[in-house]
Amino acid sequence: MNWLQRRVRPEQIRELSLLLLIILAVTIFGSLIPYYYTSRTFDRIAESVTIIGIVGIGQTLVVLTRNIDLSVGSIVGFTAYFIGALIAGNNGINPLAAILLAIAMGAVMGAINGVLVAWARVPSIIVTLGTLAIYRGMLVDLSGARTVTSDSLPGWLLNLARVNLLTIGMVRIGALFTIALSMVVIFQIGTTYLRAGRCIYAIGSNPDAALLIGLPFRRLVFLVFVISGALSGLAGFVMLARFGNITVEAGRGLELEVVAAVVVGGVNIFGGSGSVVGATLGAVMLGILEQSLLRLQISEFWRDALLGLLILLAVASDAVILQRLRTLWGRAELKVAPGMPPPVPETEKGVTNP
Amino acid sequence: MDRQRDVRPIFAAEDPVRTSPESGDAVPILEMRNIGKSFDATQALDDVSLALYPGEIHALLGENGAGKSTLIKIITGVHQPDRGEIVFAGQVVAIHNAAEAQRLGIAAIYQEPLLFPDLNVAENIFINHQDRGQVVGWGRMFREAEALLAELGVALDVRRLARGLTLAAQQTVEIAKATSLKVRVLILDEPTASLSAHEVEQLFKLVLGLRSQGVAVLFVSHRIEEVFQIADKVTVFRDGRRISTRPRSETSSQRSITEMVGRETGLLQPRPPVPQGELLLSVRGLSRAGVFEDVNFDLHRGEVLGFGGLIGAGRTDVGLALFGIEPATAGTIILNGKRAAINSPREGMRLGIAYASEDRRQLGLSLPMSISANISLPVLVRYLNRVGLVRTSLEKATAETFRKRLAIRTPSVDLAVAKLSGGNQQKVMLSKWLNTRPSVMILDEPTRGIDVGAKAEVHNMICELAAEGVGIILISSDLPEVLAMSDRVLVMREGRQTAILNRNEANQESVMRAAMGQTSDRPAEGAST
Amino acid sequence: MIALGRLKSWEGLLLAILVVVVAMNVMRSPYYLGIDNVVNLFQLSIEKIIVALTMTMIIVSGEIDLSVASIMGLAAVLLGCLFKAGIPMPAAILIALLSGLAAGLFNGFWVAQAGLPSLAVTLAGLIGYRGLARVFIQDHSIGGFPVWFNTIGQQRTVGPLTISIMIFFILFVIVAVTLHGSGLGRLVYAIGNNTQAARYAGVRVKLIKLCLFGASGLVAALAGILYGARLGSVRGDIATGFELDIITMVLLGGVSIFGGSGNIIGVGLSILVILNLRNGMGLANITGDTQTSVVGALLILSVLVPNLMHTLKTKWKERKT
Repeated sequence: MNWLQRRVRPEQIRELSLLLLIILAVTIFGSLIPYYYTSRTFDRIAESVTIIGIVGIGQTLVVLTRNIDLSVGSIVGFTAYFIGALIAGNNGINPLAAILLAIAMGAVMGAINGVLVAWARVPSIIVTLGTLAIYRGMLVDLSGARTVTSDSLPGWLLNLARVNLLTIGMVRIGALFTIALSMVVIFQIGTTYLRAGRCIYAIGSNPDAALLIGLPFRRLVFLVFVISGALSGLAGFVMLARFGNITVEAGRGLELEVVAAVVVGGVNIFGGSGSVVGATLGAVMLGILEQSLLRLQISEFWRDALLGLLILLAVASDAVILQRLRTLWGRAELKVAPGMPPPVPETEKGVTNP
Repeated sequence: MDRQRDVRPIFAAEDPVRTSPESGDAVPILEMRNIGKSFDATQALDDVSLALYPGEIHALLGENGAGKSTLIKIITGVHQPDRGEIVFAGQVVAIHNAAEAQRLGIAAIYQEPLLFPDLNVAENIFINHQDRGQVVGWGRMFREAEALLAELGVALDVRRLARGLTLAAQQTVEIAKATSLKVRVLILDEPTASLSAHEVEQLFKLVLGLRSQGVAVLFVSHRIEEVFQIADKVTVFRDGRRISTRPRSETSSQRSITEMVGRETGLLQPRPPVPQGELLLSVRGLSRAGVFEDVNFDLHRGEVLGFGGLIGAGRTDVGLALFGIEPATAGTIILNGKRAAINSPREGMRLGIAYASEDRRQLGLSLPMSISANISLPVLVRYLNRVGLVRTSLEKATAETFRKRLAIRTPSVDLAVAKLSGGNQQKVMLSKWLNTRPSVMILDEPTRGIDVGAKAEVHNMICELAAEGVGIILISSDLPEVLAMSDRVLVMREGRQTAILNRNEANQESVMRAAMGQTSDRPAEGAST
Repeated sequence: MIALGRLKSWEGLLLAILVVVVAMNVMRSPYYLGIDNVVNLFQLSIEKIIVALTMTMIIVSGEIDLSVASIMGLAAVLLGCLFKAGIPMPAAILIALLSGLAAGLFNGFWVAQAGLPSLAVTLAGLIGYRGLARVFIQDHSIGGFPVWFNTIGQQRTVGPLTISIMIFFILFVIVAVTLHGSGLGRLVYAIGNNTQAARYAGVRVKLIKLCLFGASGLVAALAGILYGARLGSVRGDIATGFELDIITMVLLGGVSIFGGSGNIIGVGLSILVILNLRNGMGLANITGDTQTSVVGALLILSVLVPNLMHTLKTKWKERKT
């Protein structure tokens, strides 16, 4: 047990138990729902997990730094729509260019968030609440409230959603799923093996020490918002490929599902712990719950109520665990609310006691 | 927490005195020249010069408030000196922040290490290495961390999270961090305060090892015996000035203590002794797990009981326990003959206890609010009319009364407290607690950081209060103040009570001895006679 | 009076902005300052501005409540469902109000007692209460309320003013007096300023925060009911997204997001600014989403501008010494 305590991070235990819960849920639902173990079920679940999973990666990075990004839903809708309109207008456009454009578009919108949070020191809850509205408004304005329809889109785009790269038994792995999976792998590796990734954890774990030691605090906070925006742009492209028909309402409310997935996946709302894989597992769990409840003909409307409850439970249980660990850690830590900028370090304020 | 320890010398008493490798014509790695620094009205450092040589352990001794931590903060870039200059390796430098200090090769280890709890030990050690490239080689990092720790002679699982490490282990990680960055000047600020004897030995082995590698070590500690085991040179600070710097062989612990405390006495009029009133407060076996243990004393009406001891001895914690902010976990409190369980500040206030915090800015006052608003806050109900509205005129009248009584200098009592000087802020905080009409008043560092005039006024207030029959607990690091004001002095050390000294027994030396754990022929005293 | 002092620069700035916005609107429409339009101006966002009053107290205490719009929706939906189920209106109204109170106290428990961050708790509430509302009403729409009920929201009863507007002004006075004149208000400011110091002074921080969240929930429920009365029908997505306007009104009014400062006059002025802005944009045929994006920009600016001014001030001070 002691070995376990020392080697394994608490969040890894969390993720492991989440995985077990997922297996448990699938087993239970499988016994209750006829024709559960079919490719159709997997497809449905994969559908929602793909988009939320991609955005969840970016949100994880943001939350790790003790911030939050509520504008992701608007960024996803914005990119889905305008890349869609672009492709619809130029059917011959290079697919890779389209994807890169979507990512770049999202990155720019994320960069605006990043500048305001990292340098202007506006709390991220305020910034992203504002840009949520601003980007959505821009979408409605510039689009003229038209719709992107699937018949205006070239075949390759719509085929992305249908093509099967790999089939393992009932599990059909399509192109979009592969994109999502590869993003998860890339960023999990990045946060584990890149120094910048580890610094992101450090920033959320102890912002005072991070500033004092001289870690590139502002640059990294800026970066995580850019990444969050970029991944939201990618998710917008995926949404376009998946659904074809994009209205100005696309992505509305997505940010809430993403935050739910991230929190359920064990990423601590105070930052510093959690992982990309965990957030993805959270997205999987929520996707399973949603689809299964639907199949059980429990009203889909229970989903949001359940979502709220899950977030609360996840945050509460993490807080309890954190409290226990903090008493072990010994000293009283200055509590900074998530979404708020870190406290000003000693060098920037006067200290009266010599 | 293992506090009983015999201090075993690490090397034999006949060891030749280790002087710095090249004495006389040596070039100091770090030199502070005529450093001056003041905060508000206090002169924290006054014309201080200090030179640190490579391969030398330089100990810095001084009471609380002598200026040691200010000097350290200047060296590590937290503060900038008002006067004087810093010379590093022959060049005049200005150190603006921690990163610059680190670049020069200056590292500091404090009582509370700055680690990242969610990262593992190896990561914590190497987190700020610019030259390791962008990719983390976990295997290599673990191996190098293990090697580093092995070099230091420490066994620690580098894979474990920093969260949950003991304080000693955390400090070891900090030292490893410093070593990995090729530190040239290592500052240890009270590193041994919470360590067991064995851990202290380990730490000293590390420090000696660093010394042999040519690192200059500045070692601040209150443990005189430890200091005299390991130091090559001893500097004594007092009241912001450097009093002396001597090689270890030319001084002794006794001499150092005398230099630490010796000052012109007679500036403070001792409070005339007052006949002891009836028993007000009786504390037996008071403990708070992991913080302080077995505190016993009686407090009488009109008595001033001074609490002496070093910072971190646990005196504030006892105050917090009596007031209900951090309640005691064991022991009894008897107030006016009745047993009391004090679990919240409200309960404390209801029982007539008041606690004036040592941190007036963060804990004692609401800075943006006005003087009168601050004064009325704990007893706001007194100022509400039947509908619950605040009777500001009544509030103002109260504030005016205190303004006169404590001579608070302000154009108006509606002024925000933030705009007042330190001394006046302190008076506002004291007024606030006087306004609760306590029978037991706990004052925690009431004259810290305020000018001489305000200090005298506060002392007058204490005398008046005592004359009115209030029992006062005076927690203070200002020895002359404690000695002048108190009827008796309770001394604490590392969470335990080491002595209660009567007026005729209490002097600077006896208090310091009890505070620092010097073996004396006088056993620790329990409850008053 | 607590925290009022003299009219500081922020309120002056707001006043100037208000004058500009109103002037621009008057130029567009000559009837702008007529009594009909003024009432209309208030009516369009009356529910939001009612909730902004209790939100002010929450933010001054150093917390935030993101779930208010969802509580509005929940209360409105509950009202409709109970009505449809045959419960008499007054009872339905009472139950809907109590549901808001319960939701608020639930929030307050987790924030005050369990010590969880209010951002996370009320974010969960934002999702959860909306979900609950949907569970009750599915995707139906319920209307056909009794005439007297619709009158509350729509008809002018006291002179040119509707009951909602009356309620707003009464609540405004109550919050103004509480925040700036009462002992409770004093304690709320103390808690927002420095929670630790307040605790050290014996203030019952947990109890007060619990009450504030309870009040926020109750008033949100009231606003939701009034909204339903004004619209004449309720749906599952009623009042979605209102929290943006509400929070903006408070922060733009000079209340610091960190708590402990700000006053009701500023909030009153910023309410007027936003009302006139929205009204003016409506007159200029600017769509709802675009209007919202302008409000979003205002939200960011309301924190950005003071930050910048503060940085400039400290830089200027440094240059002097």
